[in-house]
Amino acid sequence: MARLKIESLRKSFAATTAVDDFSLDVGDGELVCLLGPSGSGKSTILRMIGGFEQPTSGMIRIDGQDVTRLSPERRPTGMVFQSHALWSHMNVFNNIAFGLKLRSLSRGEIQRKVDQALELVGLAGYGHRQTFQLSGGQQQRVALARSLVLEPKILLLDEPFASLDQHLRERLREEVRDIQQRLGITTLFVTHGQDEALAMADRIVVLRNGQCEQVDAPDVLYRNPQTEFVAGFIGQMNFLSANVEGGRFRHPDFTLDVEVQDGPAVLALRPEALRLEPSDSPDAAGVTRATDFGSHIMVDVELRDGARLKVMTAPDARWQKGQTVRLAASAFALYRQNRLLARGGLPVETVEGRSRHALA
Amino acid sequence: MIRSYSSTSGRFDWMGLAFAILLVIVIAVPLLVVFTWAFTEVWRYPSVIPQKFGLRFWDQTLSRADVWEALFISLRLSATVTALSALICLPAAYAFARMKFPGRDLFFLSFLASHAFPKFGLLVAIAAIFLQLNLIATFWGVVLIQLVGTLMLMIWIPVAAFQAVDRRMEEAARDVGAGPLRVFWSITLPQAGPTIFAAVLLTFVSTFYETEGAWLIGAPQIRTMPVLMINFINNQVVVQYGAVLSVILWVPSFIALIFARRVIGTGSFAKGFGA
Amino acid sequence: MADTATLSAAGGSEPAIGRGLKGLLLVAIPVFLVGWLIIYPIFAAILSTLFVAGPDGVQFSTASYQFFFSDPYSRANLALTLWTTSICAVLLLLVGLPIALYLRFSTSRFADLVQSLAIFPMFVPSIILSYALIRTIGPNGTVDILLNAVGLPKLPTPYLTPWGPVIGLVWDNLPLTVLMLTAGLAGISSPSIEAARDVGAGPIRVFWYIILPRMGNSILVTISFTVLGIFSSFTLPYVLGPASPEMMGPFMLRTFNDLYDPLNAKTQAVISFVFCLFFGLFYVWSIARNQRSQSR
Repeated sequence: MARLKIESLRKSFAATTAVDDFSLDVGDGELVCLLGPSGSGKSTILRMIGGFEQPTSGMIRIDGQDVTRLSPERRPTGMVFQSHALWSHMNVFNNIAFGLKLRSLSRGEIQRKVDQALELVGLAGYGHRQTFQLSGGQQQRVALARSLVLEPKILLLDEPFASLDQHLRERLREEVRDIQQRLGITTLFVTHGQDEALAMADRIVVLRNGQCEQVDAPDVLYRNPQTEFVAGFIGQMNFLSANVEGGRFRHPDFTLDVEVQDGPAVLALRPEALRLEPSDSPDAAGVTRATDFGSHIMVDVELRDGARLKVMTAPDARWQKGQTVRLAASAFALYRQNRLLARGGLPVETVEGRSRHALA
Repeated sequence: MIRSYSSTSGRFDWMGLAFAILLVIVIAVPLLVVFTWAFTEVWRYPSVIPQKFGLRFWDQTLSRADVWEALFISLRLSATVTALSALICLPAAYAFARMKFPGRDLFFLSFLASHAFPKFGLLVAIAAIFLQLNLIATFWGVVLIQLVGTLMLMIWIPVAAFQAVDRRMEEAARDVGAGPLRVFWSITLPQAGPTIFAAVLLTFVSTFYETEGAWLIGAPQIRTMPVLMINFINNQVVVQYGAVLSVILWVPSFIALIFARRVIGTGSFAKGFGA
Repeated sequence: MADTATLSAAGGSEPAIGRGLKGLLLVAIPVFLVGWLIIYPIFAAILSTLFVAGPDGVQFSTASYQFFFSDPYSRANLALTLWTTSICAVLLLLVGLPIALYLRFSTSRFADLVQSLAIFPMFVPSIILSYALIRTIGPNGTVDILLNAVGLPKLPTPYLTPWGPVIGLVWDNLPLTVLMLTAGLAGISSPSIEAARDVGAGPIRVFWYIILPRMGNSILVTISFTVLGIFSSFTLPYVLGPASPEMMGPFMLRTFNDLYDPLNAKTQAVISFVFCLFFGLFYVWSIARNQRSQSR
């Protein structure tokens, strides 16, 4: 029912630009995640949508209505804060009922809606509790109920799980995703944790320095990062720098034929796209460490020029420290100045002078 | 004295005991003496215990017209000063804590001026101005001079209280549809409430006991309880009048003690004086 | 209205004229009172004691100051005030510092009791204290009674001597001294002291090399605050002190109220300002500095 449209949003503080020419369309019932390191402007964007910051320029529309200059209390948005920001002088019921009372609903109506909201977040019967009697996770649920009870068109979540421990965080994000899909509420979610974004979002917006790097579904983002930054930010990635000369990426350990202009470039290889084989060659790469994660083993490999790569191998493989190995890659991407030059599933191998196996 | 750094919990804290005993003697004994005198009818010199206890002097003190008059003037003055002070200072404190405007820091520090000069000298300088304005020996003259004395307490402590309120709480209230005034009334004020209440209470009590300004400006028409008490002491009227008055006078302070103790212990109070 | 409302909630990024004006309006009355009833009277007092209306119009004259410093009685009053203030400041530090140190580092159950006792005088108005001290240390007071009861001779009473106000003022100012010193000590972290102990510093060295240098500032602020309060204190010196010489507080009151001599009262006030100028300036400066470091 609700669409959010952001057009060339810009926010400058005294000397710095926090958000620079940001545009985004969020469809009805969609959950979009703003992901980025701290200082990337993701919270500022969310706070501008909520009305807590004024954009320097640009426009925010909700269902076609321009809300850019509206104060927070006049916007059809509901925000859940990182610190939950519950009102500690009111009990749970009054926290949730506050917004309803402002809308002069009848007592019975308020009671019914609050009960419903508490039920929704799994806290039925907690109305009479004081907020400080609740655990961190329960407090955040109350904050969610407080926003949802007003049936906002857009739900805004500002790193809502940041203060919770890992285990609780994972459980709560499933619940929130569940509630969001049941209600079909258009949601914008800010986080700096990629797990959270990958687990919850329909689409992810990766931000850096106030600018949008890429907007895509989680699987696309992981498999097809459009910039070097996104490639490094989402999941684990190995990078190798070298020059492209005459249509060939010339790294001492990896060469690759690519049809791009000559110049410096960065080769990006996922650990799971690399494969190891024992090698007898004296100038092959060496294993420096193998860490067993149970489901897989992560092997650190040092190349001849000192560059280090991470390689994911099967849990039954055994690799010794100091062992010489040969690497092969099944997929790659090549970047120059943060832009994607080429990508592909071509086999790339460590050069050992003679043979080249195609492993893919 | 410094051994207690390590404060090995097993050892008995002799120094704490010594401090406690000394302080009890020095601080509690004079007050106990006054309390005893208030309920004494006869206590001649060499006797350690009064010869005769009784409430006779309570009757006598409470039947004096000047006592009642002074009490009502004191209460009226303190109530007026506290109400005015809260009315003008609390909004200002909110502005200092939450808004930006030109000269903010300078104005905020300007309230220090009331503590940066020897107080009585300042009172005399103000009295000289009031002399020209014919405010000497008037109720409102005393109100004004006592009001000045409350400004710093009523600005600095509430500012700290407002600043301690989480901004996100206010934003969350805006988010669910409350206007700025409603947010202040329903969220900010209740959150800062206990500290502000303590500040108001301390203002009332300190005004109630304020002696110098009331005497300098009010004399002889406006005679407050402390001023009356000084008269009693000076004129050497019956000893017990002073004692009974002391006990009565101490009631507001006792109430303040109960309520404000929490705030004062936390150190935010000492910050109000710049420590 | 909606616009300014939005702005007031919107962090501090948009300098809006409307909002600045609103802030200024809210602080206007208290700031005006400070200007009218503190700043202006001080300047008026200084100017009106230096520019006096003479037979041929207003002219510059230091006559009232010359009178003050040539009058033996005024000089004796000033000397008594300076003596009382310094004695009280020293005594307060000697009493307050050990208590503050104890409160900072003790974890025993006596600490709460000691703190309550030390703060208690804050809730005893000076007028009640004056009366209580007369009954306790005055002639034939409780101290005399107790000495007599155990067969000892009476002590000379400090009542109506310069020591009377000293005892009262130390009693009265103890709570704030302890609170301010404790607040200063709170800034010294326990690990930094444990580290010093760890490298072999004894208690005295720890106090001298670790604690004292770091609380120098709060000691100075405490002293400044006490000096400003004691220099022109009124009730305790008036009730407990000698009638002649008298401290500046009672002296000014008598000059103003009993002798109807505002000019000389103002002169005495300005002289008190000058003698306390250093402490006042230091007090304001150090708080302004704290304030800035907190807000940035």
